[in-house]
Amino acid sequence: MSENVATLKPLKTWSHLAKNRRRPSEYEIVSTNLLWNMSENTPPEAGQGLAMDEWHHKYRYGSPLTHSDWDGFRDPDSLVYRTYNIIQDGQETYVENLCDEYSSLEHDAGLAPEWLEALEAFYTPARYPLNICMMNAGYGAAFARSSTIVNTWVYQAADSLRHLSRLAYRTAELKKNHPSRRFGDSEREVWEHSPAWQGFRELFEKSLVAYDVGEHFVAFNLVAKVAFDETLVAEFARCARIAGDDLAALISDSHMRDVERSRRWSRALVEYCVEDDPANKDVINGWLEKWVPLAERSVSELLLILPGADATAANARARKFRNDLGLDR
Amino acid sequence: MALLERSEWYDYTRMTNWTPKFVSEEEVFPAMHSGMADVPLSVFDSYDEPYKISYREYVDVQRQKDAGAYSVKAALERADMYNRASPGWISAAKLHYGGVPVVEYHASLMESRFVRFAKAPGMRNMGCFGAMDENRHAQIQLAFPHEYIDKDRQFDWATQGYRTQNWGILAARNLSDDMMMTRDVVQTAIMLNFAFETGFTNLQFIGLSADAANAGDYSFAKMIQSVQSDEARHAQLGTPLLKLMMENGHEAEAQRMVDISFWRTWRLFAVLSGIPMDYYVPLEHRENSWKEFMEEWIIEQFERNLRDLGLQRPWYWDYFLEDLSEEHHGQHIGTYSWRPTLWWNPTAGVSKNEREWLEEKYPGWNDTFGKAWDVVIDNMANGRMEQTVPGTLPVICKVSNLPVVGIPFKTAKIEQITYKGENIQFGSIVDKWIFEQDPERYCRTQTIVDRFLAGKVQPADLGGALQYMGLGVVTDPADDSMGYSWVDEYRPAAAE
Ligand SMILES: [Fe+2]
Ligand SMILES: [Fe+2]
Repeated sequence: MSENVATLKPLKTWSHLAKNRRRPSEYEIVSTNLLWNMSENTPPEAGQGLAMDEWHHKYRYGSPLTHSDWDGFRDPDSLVYRTYNIIQDGQETYVENLCDEYSSLEHDAGLAPEWLEALEAFYTPARYPLNICMMNAGYGAAFARSSTIVNTWVYQAADSLRHLSRLAYRTAELKKNHPSRRFGDSEREVWEHSPAWQGFRELFEKSLVAYDVGEHFVAFNLVAKVAFDETLVAEFARCARIAGDDLAALISDSHMRDVERSRRWSRALVEYCVEDDPANKDVINGWLEKWVPLAERSVSELLLILPGADATAANARARKFRNDLGLDR
Repeated sequence: MALLERSEWYDYTRMTNWTPKFVSEEEVFPAMHSGMADVPLSVFDSYDEPYKISYREYVDVQRQKDAGAYSVKAALERADMYNRASPGWISAAKLHYGGVPVVEYHASLMESRFVRFAKAPGMRNMGCFGAMDENRHAQIQLAFPHEYIDKDRQFDWATQGYRTQNWGILAARNLSDDMMMTRDVVQTAIMLNFAFETGFTNLQFIGLSADAANAGDYSFAKMIQSVQSDEARHAQLGTPLLKLMMENGHEAEAQRMVDISFWRTWRLFAVLSGIPMDYYVPLEHRENSWKEFMEEWIIEQFERNLRDLGLQRPWYWDYFLEDLSEEHHGQHIGTYSWRPTLWWNPTAGVSKNEREWLEEKYPGWNDTFGKAWDVVIDNMANGRMEQTVPGTLPVICKVSNLPVVGIPFKTAKIEQITYKGENIQFGSIVDKWIFEQDPERYCRTQTIVDRFLAGKVQPADLGGALQYMGLGVVTDPADDSMGYSWVDEYRPAAAE
């Protein structure tokens, strides 16, 4: 009431950032400490005890991957929505210009038949796993343990939609230039029935239902997605260059920047967890033991149909990413 | 050949459903997450989002929107809005910032569940843009109030609020957890995108934006319009789903979701938008009354939307039309009386001029709500301040988690039932009906009074209760935004 005298001092920033003794960044101001469902102690106000609440208990709070302070995680890129759009608008402008330029050079008409076959069998069917990449990132965002982790997943989901959209664009363009081929018509059949794809299909379908949030992060962001990106982005770009498909190579290079960002935050999250509790390393290694063999088999099987591809090198790069994190495989 | 039109390639982005083989379809799309379990996956391929945008367009348009909104913010920081705005407008802004950004953030988690669990490929893609939009809404609505934190600690509630047990926060959380966080994606999209977003966000975002511009807070007005332009897009993702529900034997479920959501949203917005529009915003800056906004934005548009989709008006429509002139007036008396528990300093808004306006907009106001204010004002004018804060616990509705109010001296709207041996109270017949639709969903909710009576609030007195609700922790207990200067015209000396 009127006799209340202000006792709490004014602040320079949010109270939870005030202890830092330095001016907070835009990233910290708009990204930190935003979840209200942090732990078992913050049940939903409605729906307590129902299926969704049980899901949180089982797969979020009950995950073997633990941390004493999930809110403390920071994205090494300090990415916020505003800067995400600035960066990606720049990238998309660049890629759009490439498409425009190569189209005026009648690039697609000049592609060799063997390479067109590879595009049909290997490249355009990737819209199915790319959709799963987005779905998996959506799961990560919906059930992550802190807002800073949610955000990295949200931007990664958007990156996947970016890649899927550009692939859709290229599918239509290839179809237009090569109407006698089955671009745009055969992808689902290839994804569901081509022997080369079945390893990836198994890996991706299984990663979708790895519902424990810790295992999901490891199975997808440290294994399945890394396998996919080394195959469908890195190895594809390398082979495209050899085949004279510079457009595919340059587009892939641009997607590789998104891949690198995903790896930076994934790496930071692993380090953050292991630093807090070294036992987390064993937990992660246990999951790698379960997931890496399937991923490596998937890469080897799929790269058989990409002319000039080197599956051993692709798998070695995937391993190197994890080994650099101090992980077993 | 130049660039392709979006329409030439767009469909490939949403031809992404396949038949799972190595795991079952039920594992990929569990009924509790994906909903409509009896409808085959292939039916969802026909989902056609009405508002199409490509990724390339999205990042371009959104970059420009942010550039516009943030540049206004920078320009207006120099104009020192905070020190020039009226106390009433600051009340409205604080109520908004304490209540809204973190809910927006959780809407981003909701949209992310669509990305993962929607059976319709188009809905997964729209969910991805929706998750991005809501991420934006949280961030921009945190960046703006942060500018005022060094002037006024009450803005700290923008991030700390949802980590407290404040009663207003519990009410907003309850609605969000019920409609946005704990249901399958179909029900969620009907409740949140269709009923809540297409129905109500216009009120807060267009209605309040007009008031903000009039009050001279152009950065708020511009920012909030920019936010609403995203809502206008992703709000539409529920509509094609409603069509699928109607075509596939889920009409009753659709209608029930609309009926529950519309009521819950209405009651919360009566506090969030209704109170500021009719009491906080300075009289000379008010664009319309709350009721007029509701009539223009909700009654007409929402009714038309429902009709077009083959849905009925909610069964309680007549009761709702009466509530339009009552609920927010009652909640205003309630919140103002319990002002120490708020995260914003409330504005009474009942000077003589303002009462004239209220009587004009709500004929009969002086004889009903006005009489309750007469008592408060008489106490204040005669220095009996201790009598202007209630000494007893309010009755809290188990569903809305808001105090049960009614027309003073006329009707109390309290309803009750006994469930599993417990007496449960509600603020309306509709809240009671909502509870009865799914008692297990609501029966474990502990209202602020339940917590008090269960001994969770210690010490069990006003001081302990304030502490429990974050007052004296995040900020000091709140008080009249004008330091009661508005009472002067009612003081005995002024009458002579
Ligand atoms: Fe929003
Ligand atoms: Fe929204």
